[in-house]
Amino acid sequence: MKKGMIKATGPFERVVHWCLALSCLFLCITGMGMMYHSLNFIGTIFGGMGNLKVIHNYTGIFFGVSLFFAIVMWWKEAGLFSFPEDGQWIAAAGGYLWHVDNMPEVGKYNPGQKMFFLAVALFGIAMVISGLIMWFPLSYSVEMVRWMFALHALGYVVIFAFFFVHLYLVTIGAPGSAPAMFTGWVTRGWVKVQHPKWLKEMEKDGTLVVYGEDKAAGKKRC
Amino acid sequence: MKHELVKLIDLSRCTACRGCQIACKQWNELPASKTNNFGSYQNPPDLQSNTWTLIRFQEHVDANGRLRWLFRKDGCMHCTDAGCVKVCPTAALYHTEFGSVSMHADKCIGCKECIYACPFGVPKYDAATNKISKCDLCYTRLAANQPPACVLSCPTGTLAVGTKDEMLAKAHARVKELGGDASVYGDKFVDGTHVIYVLTEKPGVYDKLPESPKVPLSIIVWKDVLKPAGLLAAGGVVAGAFLHYITHGPKTPDEETTSEGGNKL
Repeated sequence: MKKGMIKATGPFERVVHWCLALSCLFLCITGMGMMYHSLNFIGTIFGGMGNLKVIHNYTGIFFGVSLFFAIVMWWKEAGLFSFPEDGQWIAAAGGYLWHVDNMPEVGKYNPGQKMFFLAVALFGIAMVISGLIMWFPLSYSVEMVRWMFALHALGYVVIFAFFFVHLYLVTIGAPGSAPAMFTGWVTRGWVKVQHPKWLKEMEKDGTLVVYGEDKAAGKKRC
Repeated sequence: MKHELVKLIDLSRCTACRGCQIACKQWNELPASKTNNFGSYQNPPDLQSNTWTLIRFQEHVDANGRLRWLFRKDGCMHCTDAGCVKVCPTAALYHTEFGSVSMHADKCIGCKECIYACPFGVPKYDAATNKISKCDLCYTRLAANQPPACVLSCPTGTLAVGTKDEMLAKAHARVKELGGDASVYGDKFVDGTHVIYVLTEKPGVYDKLPESPKVPLSIIVWKDVLKPAGLLAAGGVVAGAFLHYITHGPKTPDEETTSEGGNKL
């Protein structure tokens, strides 16, 4: 690790993130194997469509547990908007689409990240509930089960589309982001560009952890 | 090409002998299940995974206060726009060359989606095999140029099988003959069914017979809207991301702040 890197995430946070992310991606792939006849070959990989259904269902439970930890861990920081700066950020599309001169300073999570978190949290809960009802439908009313299928498909449309937004931004769209979820350490330059307000807050609160320095040294910086 | 066949059920001729119910079980090797007497000759009480056709017995008092005993042979209607075929994730349910809806039992994964897609409540789940089952209009018999077992067994002329035009002409002629509330049921919805009734009463009178059956709206939203939308949305995002990258460009920390672990102030 290079000296001067800044700690962005802890190991528990990263484990929860990857449990959620990988199970979500796996659910998308196995679910699409069942939704599109042309992708039925995905079932063949697992020994048949019957197995694919079983694997999809049990992965759903794993996803539900991961989602529970993710929501408990992140809802305060990523689930609540703070006004007016988040409103300004949204009005300017975060400066991602056109040139913006005076962007409000972004804290630990920008409103785009908050929207992504909320979409995954709300639709994730909807996916778990509708999925369980689809798994054991016989004790529920016909009309409700019918709409659960539609809800499950809607959740897939939203989460699958958001997945690609997320994938783009953490790779080539906003370089320097991905290490936050691999090693947990990011560059100071990246934090200054992406989350300047968070950097200031950490410096003020003395919670900034810089690689190669002890905590107290980090505090002296401001 | 398609050689469409239609089964006609002329309820004005049915005496509820239930020969069809037994012939179906015999030909398709469907054993009987233990049942309960619930105060009706209708037995078993509903269609089952091993009862693909059933005579429903119904006591009905008409507008003139006259008690009528209505019999209806229930079973798969073999829709052209079949909800079950639309939702089946493995293509286990499929349209045969006769227009009927048959099933590859080995492909069924017991997901039960077809149960909810069917406007007639026909597919039934069997927990022992983890599969659904339903009438296939005796596909093997049709393929051998034989009538379905139920049609063969019928002693009163209630059941007949033939080309669509032939059966529809026969049904309409019979309705004309009967007059009153009699009507042809099955040609006006889900793009036409391959089982057609001559009803002696208005359709709404019969138990478990929907007046205007259609593939449920939720199923259409699911399969005709959201299913393609999933790919369109994801594809749109990928294309949008690429456009963003080549027009607006990534959001990158500048060289000064990035160097030496970005530790410069």
